Amino acid sequence: MKVGIPGGLLYYRYGRLWNSFLRALGAEVVESGETTRSILTSGVSKAENESCLPVKVFYGHVLALKDEVDALFVPRLVSVKKRTHTCPKMLGLPDMARAAVGDALPVISPTIDFQSGLWHNYRAVYSLGRLFSSNPMRIIGAGITAWRDHRLYLERLTLGLDHKGALKGESDRMLCEGRELRIGVIGHHYNVYDTFTTMSLLERLGSMGVDVVTADMVPEKMRDEELKRLPKDIYWSYEQEVAGAILACTRRKLVDGIIFMISFPCGPDSIVRVLCEQENKAMGNVPMLTLIMDEHTGEGGFLTRIEAFVDMLRRKKNRVEAALEKVAV
Amino acid sequence: MKISWPHMGSLEFVMGSVFEEMGVEYVLPPPNSQRTLELGARHGPEFACFPLKTTLGNFIEAIENGADTLIMVAGRGPCRFGFYAETQRRILADAGYEFEMVPLEFEPSKIPATLRRLNRLKQGKSWISLYRAIKFALSKAYLIDRLERQVLHQRYLDRERGATTAAMKRCYDLVWDAGTYADLARVEEEAFALLHSVPRGEREEIKIGIVGEFYLVLEPFFNLNVEEQLGDLGAFVERNIYLTDWLRPSGERPVLGHHEHASERLANPYLTHKVGGEGIFSIGDTVLYNRLGFDGVVQLMPFTCMPETIAKSILPLVSRDLGIPVLSLVIDEMTGRAGVATRLEAFTDLARFRRRASGRDPQLTLQPAF
Repeated sequence: MKVGIPGGLLYYRYGRLWNSFLRALGAEVVESGETTRSILTSGVSKAENESCLPVKVFYGHVLALKDEVDALFVPRLVSVKKRTHTCPKMLGLPDMARAAVGDALPVISPTIDFQSGLWHNYRAVYSLGRLFSSNPMRIIGAGITAWRDHRLYLERLTLGLDHKGALKGESDRMLCEGRELRIGVIGHHYNVYDTFTTMSLLERLGSMGVDVVTADMVPEKMRDEELKRLPKDIYWSYEQEVAGAILACTRRKLVDGIIFMISFPCGPDSIVRVLCEQENKAMGNVPMLTLIMDEHTGEGGFLTRIEAFVDMLRRKKNRVEAALEKVAV
Repeated sequence: MKISWPHMGSLEFVMGSVFEEMGVEYVLPPPNSQRTLELGARHGPEFACFPLKTTLGNFIEAIENGADTLIMVAGRGPCRFGFYAETQRRILADAGYEFEMVPLEFEPSKIPATLRRLNRLKQGKSWISLYRAIKFALSKAYLIDRLERQVLHQRYLDRERGATTAAMKRCYDLVWDAGTYADLARVEEEAFALLHSVPRGEREEIKIGIVGEFYLVLEPFFNLNVEEQLGDLGAFVERNIYLTDWLRPSGERPVLGHHEHASERLANPYLTHKVGGEGIFSIGDTVLYNRLGFDGVVQLMPFTCMPETIAKSILPLVSRDLGIPVLSLVIDEMTGRAGVATRLEAFTDLARFRRRASGRDPQLTLQPAF
């Protein structure tokens, strides 16, 4: 059976996991690959106007796979951590995919929900495996392999490879190599690592001589510490990472500046943005640029803003260093 | 301590009644107006959902009128609503207003904190009196909801445009003045008699159902009086959400007479999981309306509302499957009245033609509307 994995949204986090699980079970996996102009255009024309950019991109990936595969693989991630939810759009994603492709193409969508306990999730994964293999040992083995691959992938992200590098396992350039300036590019995985919608921001920053810190590279312990200080806990799993990373970066001055990547109109981000900007102001004000991307974002305007931001940070840093030298003399 | 809360349909009568009974001071925010919206849109985050901005506007106007304690419900659903209180507190504090935000959370682990907050709000009055006041207010809410439903059912028959609306205004006053359960029973009879006495004419009937996001369905000012407009255009209107459903979150819908589960079951072929907010009910109730022989469904959603966006992307499939026309109205601070009026007019015309056509030629109903 040919199973298609659309390369949008949570693919930028669990793509490796899904791919190796299905492959280990003997399924033929087809991925839609990187986002391209035509994928975006077809997604935009099919998706609702009010959907956020990643959902539109996701639609495009679904449509690109539509005629090539026997089934689509779109898991429903309800909750990936106790007492949290994912974004509502991810809860409805399989149904949206079903509405996009019609009844002709089956959509395989196991429900992962860590609020209902491990046993539920085990059953969900096992019954997914049963679709491909009747050998229980093979299913469990596939699960273990996939999980190992997934841990490795996440570890590579933590070490400072970008999504593509982490998938390959090697990269000629790390995001953080000790260049003169360090900027936190923080946002959801699918906002930061999608090279098309971000116009290869990470790469460009690298060639500008800027080190990039992503939310994955901020240690989880630091992020959790920040979250505990908030008066009301954030109940979206992925927002916790984003907010935690931004707050940790500001409090500990891990970076010279922060670029907060938001896609229009992301619901949870609009709320978390208020929180982050205020806390940032209160804590010591690391310069923060909020970049809002949508399908109309022009490359020129995008680049100008980033260049201006980098120049500003560079000048600020030089000034501070000059002042420090003066003091030292 | 002067307590205030945001507007939401007839919520002012209910909350007002509670505090009136308790003898606690409160400030009613000025009625929703263009200014409310402007204030909210100016201070609110750019693409936060519409109700966040409007309730923020309510809070600002309430503070200007002397309120210092603001009540807001909070939670931890996947929808943004649970985070309103915290976000609004931050925004208002940043804008330099002085106030205290009291978020009321009703999930099990937050009950003790909520009870402590309620204890402060009731200012030394007894718990029993609070309980009684709430119970009485809920009865009032239930009565108001049933009256509103009657209004929706009969408005299209008005011989004189606006007569039912005027009668309903009178009913609100009657309910507000009722002080005891005996009064309420009397008012109930009186109010229904008043509504029934509105002169009616003959009119060809079309049935339109309203589904959508809670706040927008309940708040007539911000949904641009969709119910009234539909009624004036000659539609028998039914809506799927009443204030009582929200005040008594047991999942039962006392006004409509069915449980939420019924709606969830109906939505199952199209949406198999709750997506927060009213997303699943928008779909389930569309299926339900179709079964009840409605001629069309109007979905109301605030711009960027996440659950309704999901519902909106699935509704075309439902519409195609069942052959029921669905009009999705996305509303935010930029929505123009004329645009909505035109679309509603076209929609009711379409529903009317379909009904006539289906009377002659049943095959026509199988054709998709959109």
